[in-house]
Amino acid sequence: MEFGWSAEDLAFAESVTAFAKKELVDDIARRDRAGEFPRELWRACGRFGIQGLPVPKEFGGRGLTALSTAHAMEALSAACPDAGFLFALSAQMWIVEMPITRVGSEEQKRRLLPGLCDGTLVGALAMSEPGSGSDAFSLQTRAEAVDGGYRLTGTKTFVSEGPVADVFVIFATIDPSLGLSGITPFLVERDRPGLHVGEPVPKMGLRTSPMSEISFSDCRIPAENRLGREGRGAQLFNDTMEWARSCILALAVGAMRRQLDASVKYAQERKQFGVAIGTYQSVQRRLVEMKVLLEGARMALYRAIWAKQEGKDAGSAAAIAKLVISEAWVQSGLHAVQVRGGYGYTESYGAERDLRDAVGSLLFAGTVDMQQNLIARALGL
Amino acid sequence: MDDAAVVPTVKAFIVEKFLFGADAGKVAPDTPLISGGIIDSLGVIELVTFLEQTFGITVEAREAGKTHLDTLAAIAALVKQKRG
Repeated sequence: MEFGWSAEDLAFAESVTAFAKKELVDDIARRDRAGEFPRELWRACGRFGIQGLPVPKEFGGRGLTALSTAHAMEALSAACPDAGFLFALSAQMWIVEMPITRVGSEEQKRRLLPGLCDGTLVGALAMSEPGSGSDAFSLQTRAEAVDGGYRLTGTKTFVSEGPVADVFVIFATIDPSLGLSGITPFLVERDRPGLHVGEPVPKMGLRTSPMSEISFSDCRIPAENRLGREGRGAQLFNDTMEWARSCILALAVGAMRRQLDASVKYAQERKQFGVAIGTYQSVQRRLVEMKVLLEGARMALYRAIWAKQEGKDAGSAAAIAKLVISEAWVQSGLHAVQVRGGYGYTESYGAERDLRDAVGSLLFAGTVDMQQNLIARALGL
Repeated sequence: MDDAAVVPTVKAFIVEKFLFGADAGKVAPDTPLISGGIIDSLGVIELVTFLEQTFGITVEAREAGKTHLDTLAAIAALVKQKRG
């Protein structure tokens, strides 16, 4: 394993930090309460080049490696305490742009990637269904072959950015009797007749990344909207989830860094019994554990991305990263709340929002329980 | 890679990937891989990816099942047919 940050990576991370502090930090508590997706900030990020970080330059991106992209996203998250918005940006990169870049046709890439990169478009992935969550491949959504294309029927749930997305990557079966070999990915535009987008679903955290159900009733799409070959959806989904598990939680590492810095500062400034609370070993222990959790999470993150980027068998490393980082983020968030005492439980410092946001990471892109299953499978169990 | 090398190449992949390097003697040309529980549905997807990348063939969705992938002998026949 080898990854070091180039002078260019470090300089870019600095510019990302400056951009985030200038453009992305206002009004977050209100947006969180309202569950509001900040479309104008999305466009600002597009103009800066965030969404296109890992996308090849020829399709409107910056063409960074996955490691360099994650390094930039860690910096962005360390400066911007809106994990919902960061999640939306990261999800689009790894579960929408990545599969299009990998298996999309030249026409699909030229049609969609420039808009996804510059913030004109919002993309979402739809896999889970009311009856298939962790058992994702038991999906029921049908893609029946019809003259010139396919007719989609079914319902997708837990679709992050569903309420605001312009284009969806969806997975359906062309023939249930084929099992996993029938699962096929498709691109569906929001304005396609027969596509219905549900109301935003109220949720615990990541509220600025709105979620909804979407459904298809006699939704016809042309054959050129199929993403890759028929029956290759399971492969593409597994690969996409490996990218997601490896890379998305760069935002968590950035958030943990921000939490730690702010918590240390608070412990140095807050006085009780006439001294700074950071002089008490019980508070120090919390801060030390936050530091240890942060460093462990960072190692797991970049280890997994390195393996995936180098084309190695990264399934286990990705699952370990997802498991380690999400649990570390939640624990770090609890410490951040407790260091602040009663103030941590209020909205005053944003610590309670950070904690609510962190809980989502135990669930998205595969629950921690499923990551344990994947690791057990890699052990031959 | 000639046709004779297909069976040992696929067998080595299966032993490494699904038997974790142990008990290579368990896999004979007629050993049922899918119906015998050695390869599960996710494993079929991995096997298809391996066959396509290793032998430069395309396995269609309707071929990715027990009929063509349940034994080493069936897999070798599929690869031979695809390579013409």
